[in-house]
Amino acid sequence: MSSKSPVIVMEAPEKWNHSEAQAFLAELQPLLQSDRPRVVLDCSQVQHMDSAGIEMLLNCMAEAMKRDGDIKLASLSPASAAILELMRVDRLFEVFDTSEEAVRSFQAVALPDAPPSLPWYSAGYGLADLKSAS
Amino acid sequence: MGLGAIVVVGPGAENASVLPGSFLARPLAYFEVLGRSTVERVIERFVRADVDIVTVLHAKADSGLKASFTAFENVEFQLANDIAAGMRQKLKEYSENGIDHSFLVLGNVYAETDLLDLYYFHREARQAATRAMDREGVLDLWVLDCAKAKDQRIDPQHLREWKTSHTSYFIREYVNRLTDPRDLRRFASDLLRGRCSAPPPGREVKRGIWIDEGAEVHRRARLVAPAYIGRGSEIMEDTLVTRFSNIEKDCCVNYGTVIEDSSILQGTEIGICLDVCHAVANGNKLLKLDRNVVIEITDTNVMRPNGQVAGQGKDRKWARNVLMFGGRKQRQPPISDLQPADSAPKQRGLLANFI
Repeated sequence: MSSKSPVIVMEAPEKWNHSEAQAFLAELQPLLQSDRPRVVLDCSQVQHMDSAGIEMLLNCMAEAMKRDGDIKLASLSPASAAILELMRVDRLFEVFDTSEEAVRSFQAVALPDAPPSLPWYSAGYGLADLKSAS
Repeated sequence: MGLGAIVVVGPGAENASVLPGSFLARPLAYFEVLGRSTVERVIERFVRADVDIVTVLHAKADSGLKASFTAFENVEFQLANDIAAGMRQKLKEYSENGIDHSFLVLGNVYAETDLLDLYYFHREARQAATRAMDREGVLDLWVLDCAKAKDQRIDPQHLREWKTSHTSYFIREYVNRLTDPRDLRRFASDLLRGRCSAPPPGREVKRGIWIDEGAEVHRRARLVAPAYIGRGSEIMEDTLVTRFSNIEKDCCVNYGTVIEDSSILQGTEIGICLDVCHAVANGNKLLKLDRNVVIEITDTNVMRPNGQVAGQGKDRKWARNVLMFGGRKQRQPPISDLQPADSAPKQRGLLANFI
């Protein structure tokens, strides 16, 4: 496991089956508990994938999203990509050719925290501002 | 002056390209595309051209294939352990029985040319052989002078390399070499687009949608033209079949699955809520054309050959009762199919082996 600032890069196991997925999840879980977890899964070593692995991936994504984070996939083999596509999971993840690209993508989209007082649809002006302008 | 035809299929005759893993267990010529195998189509073209006798030579016995030829008259079916010897023997027999010229097709070449025009061209050329070719190069379709050819070294490899004492006949019409499972997909697409003269079989229920006899399509399934549903196939609710897809005979596409720009070969069952796009599915193997990869799926809930039943039930609607993967809606299984509660999560695996 290697860490680059706030983005964590993890190598997915070679056999992404039930037992391996459990061990991997145990390793990943503490990272997902942090605030805005940003994880890149390097899938270059993956040779075998089953539904337990995919289910774990979905669970991790749900956990990360709960904490305003994200999981991105990198270095998927054509077969892994085909499996994810078949199972309709590919569209849920951003997929990159390399881990570096995935890490860069996290850094590129780092947005400043929005002030909690403003609603999401606000342009920053209140009703009073609009009245005074008219 | 008679005219014969020899169609050579099976191992040894095919000029097959290499795919990762063994995707097809049988030669491509045996696989049905829009309800008919290529070899049947080739034979039918010879029969329609009033060829006196058609001999199908192949290296491996296949009772199903033999049965499908019984509909044709003047078609004989011959098993040959040695393809080259079988071809020589047959040419000799033709020559002795007054058949002076013979077509010879190696492998799975499907060409919609005027066969009689090809024959007349060959006769006028007065050569031992005439080889057909198209824009992409030479084809494994020949017309041979039986008397002259029987003394030549006739075997598939030598014929392919035979460069002297033959003329070439150029084909402008539709040709598919069928050397690769990708060609099956292209052939299906071309048939549905009307690029070939052969119309899809079955009933055209809506413009561009052909449904063969015995096929069942759920009223909530959506078929986008052009599409073909083969004999005895079942398309279940909320499925989508689109973009020149063909579902061959005795297939089953289950609840919520999308088949897009894909061919589902005969006897394949596809599970629930899957996306089969740009692919050829055969039993439990899936060839992804866009990624050029074959994946083998050992979880029978996802994909399986027809008749391979998962779990206890023998109901074809097996997959409706299978819990879906995490993060998506779950369909409540019937009480009888519920498994006893277990604290440990069970592996209900896709188990995809990458080939």
